[in-house]
Amino acid sequence: MKRPLEWQIATVSAIKPETANVKTLTLTLPAWLPHRAGQHYDVRLSAPDGYQAQRSYSIASAPERMGEIDLTVERLEDGEVSSYLDDVLVVGDQLEVRGPIGGYFVWEVAQGGPLLLIAGGSGIVPLMAMLRHRAAAGASVSTRLLYSSRTHTDVIYRDELETLRAASTGLEVFHTFTRTQPAGWRGYARRIDTPMLQEVIQPLGPTPLTYICGPTLFVETAANGLAQLGVPASQIRTERFGPTAP
Amino acid sequence: MDDKSDLNRALMLDGNAVAGLLQEVFGIELTASPTKCAHCGAVGALGTLLAFTHAPGIVLRCSACEQVVMRIVETADAIYLEARGAAYLRLERHTS
Amino acid sequence: MADRFISRGFLGKRRESDVANRVPPGQYLTRDFPVLSAGPTPRMPLDRWTFSIQGLVREPITWTWAEFVQLPTQTFVVDIHCVTKWSKLDTRWEGVSLDTLFEHVELDRAALYLTAHCGGGYTTNMPLADVINGQAFVAYKYNDQPLAPEHGGPARLVVPHLYFWKSAKWVQSLQLTSTDQPGFWESLGYHNHGDPWREERYSGY
Repeated sequence: MKRPLEWQIATVSAIKPETANVKTLTLTLPAWLPHRAGQHYDVRLSAPDGYQAQRSYSIASAPERMGEIDLTVERLEDGEVSSYLDDVLVVGDQLEVRGPIGGYFVWEVAQGGPLLLIAGGSGIVPLMAMLRHRAAAGASVSTRLLYSSRTHTDVIYRDELETLRAASTGLEVFHTFTRTQPAGWRGYARRIDTPMLQEVIQPLGPTPLTYICGPTLFVETAANGLAQLGVPASQIRTERFGPTAP
Repeated sequence: MDDKSDLNRALMLDGNAVAGLLQEVFGIELTASPTKCAHCGAVGALGTLLAFTHAPGIVLRCSACEQVVMRIVETADAIYLEARGAAYLRLERHTS
Repeated sequence: MADRFISRGFLGKRRESDVANRVPPGQYLTRDFPVLSAGPTPRMPLDRWTFSIQGLVREPITWTWAEFVQLPTQTFVVDIHCVTKWSKLDTRWEGVSLDTLFEHVELDRAALYLTAHCGGGYTTNMPLADVINGQAFVAYKYNDQPLAPEHGGPARLVVPHLYFWKSAKWVQSLQLTSTDQPGFWESLGYHNHGDPWREERYSGY
């Protein structure tokens, strides 16, 4: 389907802190189009002297929410764009964006499942759009999320994930904390590895539809682990985010 | 030296990173398109290509053999795209 | 032209005024050393590493690592400029001048250009005149440490007066030619020569 990709000027209508260095920006778009969960928008900043910087951010919100999108942004040390979005941007500001973009790393309820979602750090963002879409559509497709974070205070959407899990049919959420664990934690406490994957995927059958998102090395470890467990490569979709490791 | 210490590998992204650029140029979404590597014959969605974006241009490499499939350079006036490393791209017809 | 959208409060990169005369047009200063690459870091164990000069020379020559590090070295403190707009001043390297390396071969009269060939398949080209008389070296130390793999180690070419894409990482050989052969970026829109002071970034065709 031909559709020109045009820049538009969005307005920041809300800013919500998620964790110590992660915020969600709600943007009202004059030319909003329904997106597919997993897609992203490009954000472009322009300085008065003509200098521009551009980055891509996954859409966090479900396509069922019309007229606006949520972008969840992690502030990176030395991040030229992320530090502007964190330090300078306020409600009422404008932001130049274009999208929605992407056709490979997308999931719609119509594709069915069982669904396996594997997130490393801020890689949870596009997978959250998939979970929110699944909930908005009232779907009950068997779904398991395995989410790796450094500590439990780094978990983005922590409360909402618990609410979704409790309210939904067929959704299970597994956290693993790689650095420190909360008192009394009895769940996974290490980086993702093949034995962990084997336990998590076991009830989903041999060919779950799989989406892995996070830093490059995390994605490769998870994808290689699933390949070793016999999940066909054609069932696995990946999106690499860049070097910060959970 | 193993993969964990290769910063160039850690900076690597995938074909999703050029989705916006390709859509800007061609007007259609291309990252779901099966792409055949001219070097080793592997076929995978363009989104699965390994993308090296920290460079004077973007270099997309086959995820199986790591040879160059496509290169993209953005200059002030133009976008150059070279795809000798791609034997083909398969674009589905849409009847809608 | 319609008014361009400007992001409130976004200032981008700044040029520091006290060294402005050392920063070519369109560049900004960085204190980091950004890592740029067209591919994964090539792996080359030192016991298999070689460096050659070949092409239009009377006899090609190849050094092993053990032989190469016996060659006389110098310390070079130079400013470097990347076409992606960052410049870094006073970078400190140790390596072998190309003048020293060329003493070991007899260049044909027809040898006017060279192409650098590198691990991973990268190439770049330049006139011979740009790499003699102290203008270029093969570096294997940066800041007194062995050159890190992501920055081109074990050894890279450094040609500081041209844009840094010409300072080929993981260099394995220099090929002398009679005609100019556009390399990896030169063949796809980048300028064949690459002088940052004349902002020779793109070829324009």
